[in-house]
Amino acid sequence: MYWNSKDISVFVEQKEFVDTAVIPLLLIDGQASKLKQNASSAEFLMALTAFIENQFKGRVILMPPVSYTTKTNRQQLGQEWDEMLKEAGFKHLFFVSSDMGWVNEESALNVIYTPSIPLENMDRKLRQSVLDDQLRQIIPVFAKRWASTT
Amino acid sequence: MSNNRVSRRQFLNYTLTGVGGFMAAGMLMPMVRFAIDPVLQKAGGGDFIPTGKKVSDITEVPERVDFAFEQVDAWYTSEVTSTAWVYKNGDKIIALSPVCKHLGCTVNWAGSPDHPDQFFCPCHGGRYEKSGKNIPKTPPLGPLDEFEVREKDGLLEIGKTRPNTLV
Ligand code: FES
Repeated sequence: MYWNSKDISVFVEQKEFVDTAVIPLLLIDGQASKLKQNASSAEFLMALTAFIENQFKGRVILMPPVSYTTKTNRQQLGQEWDEMLKEAGFKHLFFVSSDMGWVNEESALNVIYTPSIPLENMDRKLRQSVLDDQLRQIIPVFAKRWASTT
Repeated sequence: MSNNRVSRRQFLNYTLTGVGGFMAAGMLMPMVRFAIDPVLQKAGGGDFIPTGKKVSDITEVPERVDFAFEQVDAWYTSEVTSTAWVYKNGDKIIALSPVCKHLGCTVNWAGSPDHPDQFFCPCHGGRYEKSGKNIPKTPPLGPLDEFEVREKDGLLEIGKTRPNTLV
């Protein structure tokens, strides 16, 4: 489900079943030399998280992407979102990003890092299968974390 | 007093007609729209979407078959590829919708190692038999939907969903 009024009312009524937020973390880098690659990786992250949403529609709410710049303090950003969403009533949070910066970050956030794959030149079929492959690697991460707390 | 003064009765008449008019319009507009809409819409219903799947390759074991159409989600527009679980039941081709009847996650055939001959929903552990029949005591309350199917030049085509006819 998505962060929109219709889906949020399901969340409010069915908290016992809808208990997970997926948050795309999106680094926007406007440097001329990085623009293209950066946009491509944004495209990838949006497509991938939409796939995740589709797979786990009934339990997950996909947040609008959290965008930040190279100057942003990742740790603080992550912490704010973590706190806020837990207060909102989400039991599980999955942050997904193609920004390497999160990997080295010593934070309590469990960011799922997925290297960005340029989708723009792929035809539909290839795109689908690339995203499917990525999704298949992510499904167990979800399953595991859900299983560990229920 | 002047004689073009609006009397109490007239005043009420005017206002009530006005309000009534609005109310009538409020009620009629949707009705008119309902009546006309089907005419305006293209007959999208009976469309079958070709898949690349050879009918002769379909086995008794449910297998994922993808087919593409356009879909607009909240803020992300994409050409979404939809999926069906397809298998043969004798000579008949069955295509089941992967959308869990609980809250809409995607189910997988043999998705749980403990139940290799069932559909499994990873979200809240919903399970279904091969026919799509929901297993009691798991969250889903109904069977998986079924797709209309047809064969064209040896390839599978998938149509609309309909309530499960096997259960
Ligand atoms: S969405 Fe499938 S069991 Fe809840």
